[in-house]
Amino acid sequence: MTVPKVAPRQPLGGLALLGWLVGAAAAFFLLFLLITLILRRIPDPIGPRADLFVQGAQMTLQLTLVSGLIGLVVGIVAGIMRTSALWIVRAPAGLFIWLIRGTPLLVQILFVYNALPPLLQGIGIKAELNEFWSAVIALALNVGAYNAEVIRAGILAIPRGQTEAARSLGLSGGQTMQTVVLPQALRIVVPPLVNNVVALLKDSSLASSIALLELTLAGSRVSSETFQPIPVLTTVAAVYLALTTVMTLFTDQLERRVKIATR
Amino acid sequence: MKKTLLTLTTLALLASVAEARTWADIKSSGTIKIATEGAFPPFNLLKGKELTGFEVDLANALAKGMGLKVQWVTQPFENLLIGLNQDRYDFVIASHGITPERLRAVDFTNPHYCTGGAIVSRVGGPKTAADLKGKTVAVQVGTTYLQNVSKVPGVGSVKTFPKDTDAQAALMAGRVDSWVGDKFTGLDLVKAQKGKLVQGALLFNERIGMAVKKGNSSLLKELNSALAKAMQDGTYAKISGEYFGQDIRCR
Repeated sequence: MTVPKVAPRQPLGGLALLGWLVGAAAAFFLLFLLITLILRRIPDPIGPRADLFVQGAQMTLQLTLVSGLIGLVVGIVAGIMRTSALWIVRAPAGLFIWLIRGTPLLVQILFVYNALPPLLQGIGIKAELNEFWSAVIALALNVGAYNAEVIRAGILAIPRGQTEAARSLGLSGGQTMQTVVLPQALRIVVPPLVNNVVALLKDSSLASSIALLELTLAGSRVSSETFQPIPVLTTVAAVYLALTTVMTLFTDQLERRVKIATR
Repeated sequence: MKKTLLTLTTLALLASVAEARTWADIKSSGTIKIATEGAFPPFNLLKGKELTGFEVDLANALAKGMGLKVQWVTQPFENLLIGLNQDRYDFVIASHGITPERLRAVDFTNPHYCTGGAIVSRVGGPKTAADLKGKTVAVQVGTTYLQNVSKVPGVGSVKTFPKDTDAQAALMAGRVDSWVGDKFTGLDLVKAQKGKLVQGALLFNERIGMAVKKGNSSLLKELNSALAKAMQDGTYAKISGEYFGQDIRCR
């Protein structure tokens, strides 16, 4: 394994991934600059309040990134647990997915914000969950449950022969998962995971119900102040569209880069 | 973008050519459609399915005086005036303070009561506008409380909630230092929380009116005369006494 061989097509290296990350960060930075410039030039009611919209958009993106990353970890863990042969490992993950997928996200957000702190206090944990972290917890768990099923599908999509071959070469179960199955499975599931992240960005609008000043709440503040729902809602929708467009541009890139020569 | 906005605005203007119902239309249909929020005790609140409160009783009395049946509509507060301008109902009674910004969008009747925005905090919390320096305050979105709190010099952060009751819950849960809302609502809240909360100073005074669509002068005139009649014949005093133990009309 230590003999360096020049492969015909290298899968994604660390440097390329870093470059992709920097590119995405720069693109969003430019996007916010652009949004600010455009919104400031639109007449009242949008122009004078452009900064509020941009602040809201930044919060929306921040919420999506933080809960998206946590949700990815949650999804991988729960997804692997679901494919386990042991009932005791499968059950908790199954219960978690059943609960989260069976209840509305809005109820989950309100639950984490209003009901979780007193419940935690009841068992002696003093938790101060502010609006941001309440929303992050609810969104991360929600997207995590959906990611788990996606990851499970990816793992099941890897032919059994791969596992058998790895095991007969003397790799342990854990090593097989880590070095043979997961690297292939994660490549397969990039498109549905992207789907979930885009949905997450839009779902983050529900955090407006707990007074977190994201894009939707910024919009409703302006529209209730000026009584002009049409320009405000159009602007909010356009900014969401801009955010998801830039995001999918970069995830398409990611998809292209993680492709391997086999297909 | 500008073009799209222009097109959309034109479309909106075309769509809203549909006229608001005049007094004659309402009279001949026999039913008046009134909108309120239903989450603002003791003025308008939903008890189970039943809409009740000072403003609900008052509006029912006014409609009775005008010889009309009532159809109630409940809407989130920030949508009320927007829906009014789209002719979804005839008038709105939901404790709207009469402000210049709102007067640009709708017409108001004479005030049906006078009140103020008061600071409510947990015991030992901020009591005056000066105390709010650097503190977090909860208010309802789209209200005059939000506007006035934002004007307080040095105020920390202002959190906006969809309903007033949500903003009060945030205060009780200790998520914010103070809540700013109607002084009568505040008094009720302090009473209900038995010693956990105190009401501080008034931030501002306001006159509360009913809103009709801009230019619907025939309905405005009828509402004003019905209100004046109720204030004269004791109907108003009776309803106000039931809820507040005092007469809360503007003096």
